[in-house]
Amino acid sequence: MMMANTIRPEPSTKTGERLLDVKGLTIEIETRNGPATIVDGIDLHVGKGETLGIVGESGCGKSLTMLSMMRLLPNKIRVTKGEANFAGRDLQTMSNSELRKVRGGDVGFIFQDPMTSLNPVMRIGQQLAEPLIYHRGMSKAQARKRAGELLRLVGIPGAEERLDAYPHELSGGMRQRVMIAIGLACNPQLLIADEPTTALDVTIQAQIVDLVKDLRDKLGMSVVWITHDLALIAGLVDRINVLYAGTVVEDAPVDALFANPSHPYTQGLLASIPKLSDERSIRLSSIGGTPPEPGRRPKGCPFAPRCPLVESICHDSVPSLEGLSQNGSHRVACFVAQRKLEAA
Amino acid sequence: MAAQPLMRIENLVKHFHVRLGAFGERAATVHALDDVNFDILEGETLSLVGESGCGKSTTGFTLLNLHRATEGKVIYQGRNIVELDEKAMRPYRRQLQIVFQDPYSTLNPRMTIGEAVGEPILFHKLATKAELKDRIAALLADVGLPPRFASRYPHELSGGQRQRVAIARALACQPKFIVCDEAISALDVSVQAQIINLLLDLQQKYGLTYLFIAHDLAVVRHISDRVGVMYLGRLAELATREELFEHPLHPYTKALLSAVPEADPAHERSRKRQILQGDVPSPLSPPPGCRFHTRCPIAMDICDKVVPEWREARPGHRVACHAVTEGLPG
Amino acid sequence: MSVVPMTDTAVEIEPPVSLWRDAWHRLRRNKLAVFGLAVVVILAFTAVFGPYLTPYDFLSQDLNSRNLAPSLSHLFGTDDLGRDVFSRVVYGTRTAFLVAIVVTFIAVVIGVTLGALAGFFGGWLDRIVMWLTDMTMSIPNLLLVVVINASLKSPITSWMESRYLATLNPLYRETIWVDFLLVFGSMALISWPPYARLVRAQVLSIRSRPYITAAQALGLTNRIILMRYVVPNALGPLIVAVSAGLGTAMVLESAFSFLGVGVNPPTPSWGNMISDGLRVWQHYPHLLAAPAAVLGLASVAFSFLGDGLNDALNPRGAK
Repeated sequence: MMMANTIRPEPSTKTGERLLDVKGLTIEIETRNGPATIVDGIDLHVGKGETLGIVGESGCGKSLTMLSMMRLLPNKIRVTKGEANFAGRDLQTMSNSELRKVRGGDVGFIFQDPMTSLNPVMRIGQQLAEPLIYHRGMSKAQARKRAGELLRLVGIPGAEERLDAYPHELSGGMRQRVMIAIGLACNPQLLIADEPTTALDVTIQAQIVDLVKDLRDKLGMSVVWITHDLALIAGLVDRINVLYAGTVVEDAPVDALFANPSHPYTQGLLASIPKLSDERSIRLSSIGGTPPEPGRRPKGCPFAPRCPLVESICHDSVPSLEGLSQNGSHRVACFVAQRKLEAA
Repeated sequence: MAAQPLMRIENLVKHFHVRLGAFGERAATVHALDDVNFDILEGETLSLVGESGCGKSTTGFTLLNLHRATEGKVIYQGRNIVELDEKAMRPYRRQLQIVFQDPYSTLNPRMTIGEAVGEPILFHKLATKAELKDRIAALLADVGLPPRFASRYPHELSGGQRQRVAIARALACQPKFIVCDEAISALDVSVQAQIINLLLDLQQKYGLTYLFIAHDLAVVRHISDRVGVMYLGRLAELATREELFEHPLHPYTKALLSAVPEADPAHERSRKRQILQGDVPSPLSPPPGCRFHTRCPIAMDICDKVVPEWREARPGHRVACHAVTEGLPG
Repeated sequence: MSVVPMTDTAVEIEPPVSLWRDAWHRLRRNKLAVFGLAVVVILAFTAVFGPYLTPYDFLSQDLNSRNLAPSLSHLFGTDDLGRDVFSRVVYGTRTAFLVAIVVTFIAVVIGVTLGALAGFFGGWLDRIVMWLTDMTMSIPNLLLVVVINASLKSPITSWMESRYLATLNPLYRETIWVDFLLVFGSMALISWPPYARLVRAQVLSIRSRPYITAAQALGLTNRIILMRYVVPNALGPLIVAVSAGLGTAMVLESAFSFLGVGVNPPTPSWGNMISDGLRVWQHYPHLLAAPAAVLGLASVAFSFLGDGLNDALNPRGAK
């Protein structure tokens, strides 16, 4: 689906105009032994027109952070502290009816598994029309026409006929395109994509990444792309936040992150991706151990037990996210990395 | 590397019969595997890659006789093992092992790790009851787990730890050959690297042969000696790792390689991907001729009529594509 | 060779937790289930030792103290023959437990065997078993039991009586066992299909789990796989079903006794006591209330226990 490449406006990372601003967000889960922290005072923000990649391993809290902002958390998991502002309004204190206008209206979601996120007993066209009727007050006929346009926009061949199909009649890649179309239905200012290609094959994955890239450039929206695969988003995002055990450990523009990863966890992640130039006999560098479970977080830096550069201070206190570069665009939460900078 | 074939797969076919429709009124055949030919060399890692439904896992299951082959032969130690019944198969089972994708469901939740690892040892009489405890501890040490794990239950372990147990269990049989069926796909990146290293270490220590089934080409590139690419139940291309990644011949292999993301932002942004149009056709009614012709950027007239031959295009480099083999002699 | 060491603090501290122990912990925190368990334990104790502890024999009649209201000397009062109702209820507990346990045991053995074989091997065996199950379930329970009892009981009893008169063999003297045999037999006959269905469904779902394929890949025999992999994993839901089934069997036994096709007087059974009490409940409500209350309590206790076990053994979100 080659689309005319419109010139994408410069993302407003530099102007500092923030569309989404999360401060000190803490999420806890109810367990048998009392509440356990899953997300620990996370700070993150997305600029207008910016594409942010959130990278982390399973259980690091990357999906929960995004769900919590829309108050879509499952039972037994709740936000205990912090705020999340969207376009200047606090999502946590907003009334339910206001929030519903934001969900699916100003903010579109794409989930990992397109089979379980689509209603299996509803036709594609109806599922697409629903948010349009609800959020945009369109008539049924208008909504159907727009639904057809949306399917064409996401590159589904024979879009008009597909409106009457049920989800199971489509392939995995096509279903994910439908999910994207639903996410885009109301021209959202922000699109949140939660591992949208994990369940798909490589060639389909490439299609979807390119599609979102094209749509973003065309529609000028902000995108948050949650993934565990650093390589996948290398060419897509402007900035990356690396999450570990519920905290942002590194926040950097994409080129700076790949060229100069500063947190030992980021370094470990990048090093564990096999490279083309590697000889077969070379051992992959890997991070020993496993991430801490909720409720078993170490007292100091959460990465300390697995860290190759660990020092005594790391076991005692938690490092905060500090600027490494002059304009503060590259930030890292690591005592060792911060000290190296001061020494230099 | 000794180039002795450990296993020879000849014209392997696997069809599944399914019933469709709300009441199962329509019978249909899934062409999971059609006319697959290759050798697995002793001590090598041969990888099979391809997208879901291409038949790579079915190949692994069928050549271990876990699925009954519809047709064809799998020659191991001079015998066609896919025609053996379960009893005659048992001595071969010990030598031919498999590690599965999902570490959460391949261990019996009611058995401790020690029981799970010890079971095949006792069953195949590879140690006496008195030696068992030491043997289990040695196997756990082989996969990097401390001996106290023997008394744990699977639900107490992380995904990476469970996969280590699954590997220890396969090793317990003292196998010659292990099929790794997406064995690292369900793991996190940092844990993946641990398991890959472990597999390579064990291969060296015990002289194992691997059939590595995966969809992650970066990983495959790292660990394989040779790589086979499958599409819709057929082999499209098979070559050494260097040949395949440097000089891919089949248009599907080229598309697959161009879809793999690289951890390099500048390269990724400027890169021109060759994006395949459309989806993989249904294995219920695979296209006639070359199965890739419906999505192939260089399809010719002949492609939808004649099944391309599985030919050696360069030394040790086989491919099934009319466009490639057209110019070859004979 | 160097192997990446596991540095996992999480697993080091705690002793291993088996799934059963975990379930026990969950059960203990469920108040209703603990209540159910306590009642069941007390009733079971009563069933075993009760008859030795009661102040009166359940058969001894005292025509001077008929239809007494509950008092300290007769906790639940006396019936129209002056028998102590408390003693009879206690003895009825034994009847109820005996019937429930034996019936459930027979039903479970039949059901598990047929269900496991059908689920594991499939094919024609599965079809036959399922056909049998559907057949049995389609016949109304009460009707079947009434037919069996009505058509078999009197011929067998009279045959035994004639044998006794002819041979004087003490084997034929007690016809009470015919009662029990027929009650057990007919109730087991209608009780096994749910177990067969449950086990078959369990086995079908377990059979498709990867750990079964993993066991097959190790070369293990079908018998080992069935005994060590399939059955232990199917046990959880079966325990739940058995717990609920015991309660159902007790109610069923009472229902049959109430209708006169179960255990016959003078053997005390809650059902025939309720049936007797019902005729005079306007004058002597305690004769109805005592056995009915105990039956209700037992039924509720078993169902609470079953629910609790269900939650404990199948926690949602557990892997």
